[in-house]
Amino acid sequence: MPSHNSPTSQSNTKYTIDVVAENALLLSWPAQISLSQHDEILNLQALLKQQLHEVIVETVASYHCLMIYFAFQHVTSEQLIEDIKKLANNEHRQLANLKSADDCIKIPVYYDTEQQWDLVEVAKHCQLSIDEVIQQHSSHVYHGYALGFTPGFCYLASLPKSLHLPRKSSPRVKVPKGAVAIAEQQSAVYPSESPGGWHIIGQTPVPMYQSNNGQFKATINVGQNVQFYAISKTEYIELQRGVNA
Amino acid sequence: MSKPYLEIISCNGQASIQDLGRPNAQHLGFSVSGAADEYAFLTANNLIAQQQNLSHIQHTQSACAAIEITLGQIAFKAHSACTIAITGADCQATINNVLVSNWQSHTLKAGDILDFSMPKVGLHSYLAVLGGFTGEISQQPWLGSFSQTKNEMALGFTGEKLTVGSKLYFNIRTQAQTQVEPKVASFNTSQLRNRPTPATQFYARDKLTLRFIASTIFAKMSVAQQTQFLATEYVISADSNRMGYRLNTVQQARSTSEQKILLEILRQQCSLSMPVTYGMIQFPANEQTIVLMKERQTMGGYPVLGTVMQTDLFRLSQMRPGEKVNFTLISHKQAQQQLNAFQNKLNFSVVY
Repeated sequence: MPSHNSPTSQSNTKYTIDVVAENALLLSWPAQISLSQHDEILNLQALLKQQLHEVIVETVASYHCLMIYFAFQHVTSEQLIEDIKKLANNEHRQLANLKSADDCIKIPVYYDTEQQWDLVEVAKHCQLSIDEVIQQHSSHVYHGYALGFTPGFCYLASLPKSLHLPRKSSPRVKVPKGAVAIAEQQSAVYPSESPGGWHIIGQTPVPMYQSNNGQFKATINVGQNVQFYAISKTEYIELQRGVNA
Repeated sequence: MSKPYLEIISCNGQASIQDLGRPNAQHLGFSVSGAADEYAFLTANNLIAQQQNLSHIQHTQSACAAIEITLGQIAFKAHSACTIAITGADCQATINNVLVSNWQSHTLKAGDILDFSMPKVGLHSYLAVLGGFTGEISQQPWLGSFSQTKNEMALGFTGEKLTVGSKLYFNIRTQAQTQVEPKVASFNTSQLRNRPTPATQFYARDKLTLRFIASTIFAKMSVAQQTQFLATEYVISADSNRMGYRLNTVQQARSTSEQKILLEILRQQCSLSMPVTYGMIQFPANEQTIVLMKERQTMGGYPVLGTVMQTDLFRLSQMRPGEKVNFTLISHKQAQQQLNAFQNKLNFSVVY
């Protein structure tokens, strides 16, 4: 279980590199939700994908981790760790050309009590009115930290403290497509019907992915900013009709 | 000429199309998926390549999509002649009611009925075809793979769930060459039914010891706690599937906190979701272990004690609820050597 502490002279953050499988390295930063730390992770990810594409098969980023899948048949883990450190610590390294995070994706939400999801219960547990829950959830700008769980599911953080709740003690068997949900410090939209343990507070008519010509494009990508805004039932139905047209 | 296919004419078990999965789509949230038992899957394709006696086919055939049959109980009708191979759990397969050998290639004529019974041992059987299955007639690989993932079927990218009436199309390659005196490729299991064959020697006879690469959390545990984990015997739970194997302790659940294997203080370091990979040993608060398998999700939020090496995961995938496993440590170098040897032996060609 070799843990390689990275030198920190050129960088303020500290991460470790561990060989977690025959074909996978895990880079771990402190377990926290932090915008600057996440920017650094995405920067390093872009740099490694660009510079080491011959041996790196896939990379997956999250709040505080970067998983790197590599062709172990072509490079030893030791060599790859060396290469990663060298690239990461190069003072003159070009900041990878990341998509500007300035643009903010706006997601319309019908915050709904009729369908008897969890909005009423969330308000009760957080000791807020329903309008306050809606106001708090939609007034905040979220950041996409990780894609996963199901295709197109983007983990968004951080939820205002007043809305923090643990996951439901027993997960729902079916959460509908488009459900806008919260859990702990996070919010997300379910891209397709699936089981789920988060609290559903509304629904969006906006699809969470598009696919054509064999390509898959998530609506919200890691590193992007997101804001929700409330719409009425009529607007929801109209928008949904537009999506399905 | 219309595209050739096999049709499912009865189905009481589970079946899906599988190849080596889509490892490059994890950043989008897609499960890697793929054949649960790569040993049986790759062997099936190798048998076809050997039967054709064409080494250049071996290369292109080795990762071709096959049908993964779970607990047998399925029958197919051939609508055109083809070369197939059957491997994995022995379902006492018959062609037109005549018993045929497992771990062997066979030829089917149009109209032939291929029938699989329920296996006595193991879970997954593989039916491979020369040229590889594509599933539905116009089906294209989705993000590099034909593999079907249960939780992603509703997205509609990988065709319909296999059932009675499903037509399984395959690529026409050199099917015609099967007319030429076929070279029989097999492990000659027919005369040696009661002895372990080279094919079945790969699998655990009774209990399986899972060799794993320790995580940093495991390294932070006390020696006593590490020893306790390594000494624990686990039973495969009935909730196990292609996503994950749930393992229950044989003894009554440990109750008091002194007996916990993982201290709360270490557990708290693992609350944020992070990327997870094949074979990771998740350790929820009830200390009943989950080993992540081929249809795992890409993110997880439980503490991870380590990662079971891949060649042992292929063995584990054939084990049934009620069977026993335990854990032992291995270095990542040893695990890499094992996987490398496995891939060389099975003509696994890495395609990126």
